[in-house]
Amino acid sequence: MPAEQLPEWTALAPAYILAATAMVLFVIDSIDPDSDNRNLLAGTAIVGTLASVGVATWFLLAWGSGTGPGPTITLFGEAVVVDGTSLFFTVIVTTVTALVLLASYDYLADDPHQAEYYSLIILAATGMVLMASSNSLATVFVSLELASLPSYALVSILKRNRGSSEAGLKYFLIGALSSAIFVYGISLVYGATGSLILSDVAAALDEGADGFEGLLGVGVVMLIGGFAFKTASVPFHFWAPEAYEGAPAPVSAFLSSASKAAGFVIAFRVFVEAFPLDVVAAMGVDWALMFQVLAVVTMIVGNFAAAVQSNVKRMLAYSSIGHAGYALIGLAAITGGNPGHDATVLGASMMHLLVYGFMNTGAFLFIALVEHWDVGRTFDDYRGLARTAPFASLAMAVFMFSLAGLPPFSGFASKYVLFLAAIGAGYWWLAAVGAVTSALSLYYYSRVVKALWLDDPIDGTPRVDSYPRGIYVAIIAAAALTVLALPAFGVGFDLAETAATALFE
Amino acid sequence: MTVPIEYYVLLSAGMFCIGLFGILTRRNALMFLMSVELMLNAANINLIAFALLHGNLTGQTFALFVIALAAAEVAIGIGIILGLNRNFGDVDVTEATTMRW
Repeated sequence: MPAEQLPEWTALAPAYILAATAMVLFVIDSIDPDSDNRNLLAGTAIVGTLASVGVATWFLLAWGSGTGPGPTITLFGEAVVVDGTSLFFTVIVTTVTALVLLASYDYLADDPHQAEYYSLIILAATGMVLMASSNSLATVFVSLELASLPSYALVSILKRNRGSSEAGLKYFLIGALSSAIFVYGISLVYGATGSLILSDVAAALDEGADGFEGLLGVGVVMLIGGFAFKTASVPFHFWAPEAYEGAPAPVSAFLSSASKAAGFVIAFRVFVEAFPLDVVAAMGVDWALMFQVLAVVTMIVGNFAAAVQSNVKRMLAYSSIGHAGYALIGLAAITGGNPGHDATVLGASMMHLLVYGFMNTGAFLFIALVEHWDVGRTFDDYRGLARTAPFASLAMAVFMFSLAGLPPFSGFASKYVLFLAAIGAGYWWLAAVGAVTSALSLYYYSRVVKALWLDDPIDGTPRVDSYPRGIYVAIIAAAALTVLALPAFGVGFDLAETAATALFE
Repeated sequence: MTVPIEYYVLLSAGMFCIGLFGILTRRNALMFLMSVELMLNAANINLIAFALLHGNLTGQTFALFVIALAAAEVAIGIGIILGLNRNFGDVDVTEATTMRW
């Protein structure tokens, strides 16, 4: 671990680098507010994000290189923690951010608000990295808002576009409602335990909640509501199709991959660290049961709704809800009594979020490419695109089959490990629902591939007039990461499992 | 004499429910923002009352964060509602339905 050579405060370096990059973008913008120098702005943002990716990857590999879990570093009076889990999710968030920034370079070429866009993306990414490191309900809430507020603005950044404006409004309304519910839940948990630091909450619960069990139960349910919003799972999922459809496609990619992963990391940490299942289940607050219900409903709602869409972007939005259901298995299959099984299932869920981050970002960036060409949004408009854009269409086929979980792709490995872990924990029916809905998902994912590769265009060849370099590089990088995730799967899963083990200790 | 903690919790639960009711029934986006403020401030009442009960300052400090974040949220919200008004000529949240809800 670099901590042995570096001072402790450097453990948060990925977040510091992102925050500094956002500040540099502000300075550039305040020196020349009317600048639309895309090379300078996008370049600064991408360099900063890549530096953050590099540092986070280095820390994560160093953390997992020894025997057993690396050290857990707490900073700011235990409000912030850096351990395997936080580094793992930092890598997911920063990688997705880098891909999104790369694609935004071409997608937003004509937008007058370049500096605003890039600084908002970087600020939201900073919030998500901090969410991964939050060790207190106060930092959880503040970093969640730091990630959410720029996201609202990003969704509605196309000011003259009715769809973007409507999507921003709906995202904001549901986000504001769920954050109010979330903070009320925090206040009830604070009332029941007298602390906001996760380990202190667990310690207070260990001594018994003397008469505050009711408050605690309501508080935990409200916290689940906040997480459900951020991860786009049932019952707070209905903003997702609207927001993803109306937002600029790179922003949709950012929200559906990075923001979802960040929502999951706080859910993992808060429920595993602050509310140990064996302690709170004895008080009648069995959150694993709630997550089981949510996981099943989310998998079913997301996949069935995706199957009936005619708009590809909206189909992907519902599919991302379905994937939230798969990732929820990580919390739903926790038994509380068996740390070994619990760590495996949680690690499998983390690994699924990593692989999902690559393939889903790639899929939304392909949508960005199609929107850039302006050929239309439905399955019919996609017909025959492979003739004029074979490379991007090939990458899209990889993303689709990987999302569906077909064998030679990394999406298969992550789903396989996840369902196997659920069965190992005794929840075979969670795995069964997951397998059935995955089979259903193959139907709507292969519709995209069929339209691209097999169908003839309805009226002549689709007009593809340009091959934007930034979006292409981003799509091919995402495809490469999706493919490479398979040979590297063992290493990644070991890291995730070790990180999850450290979370349970 | 001190006020029993139950009264504070009842007050805040009442405020929270009034806010929730407002969100579910009002169609004006600005009324919606006000209702969210009510819900956030209900949480603040809880935090401060429990800080007194537990004898530590965590709750009061966190309430300050919540107040600051509520202000930031309203600032973003007003911006989005302004954009809505420009595009749709109204601040009715049920007007904006170019996509299915």
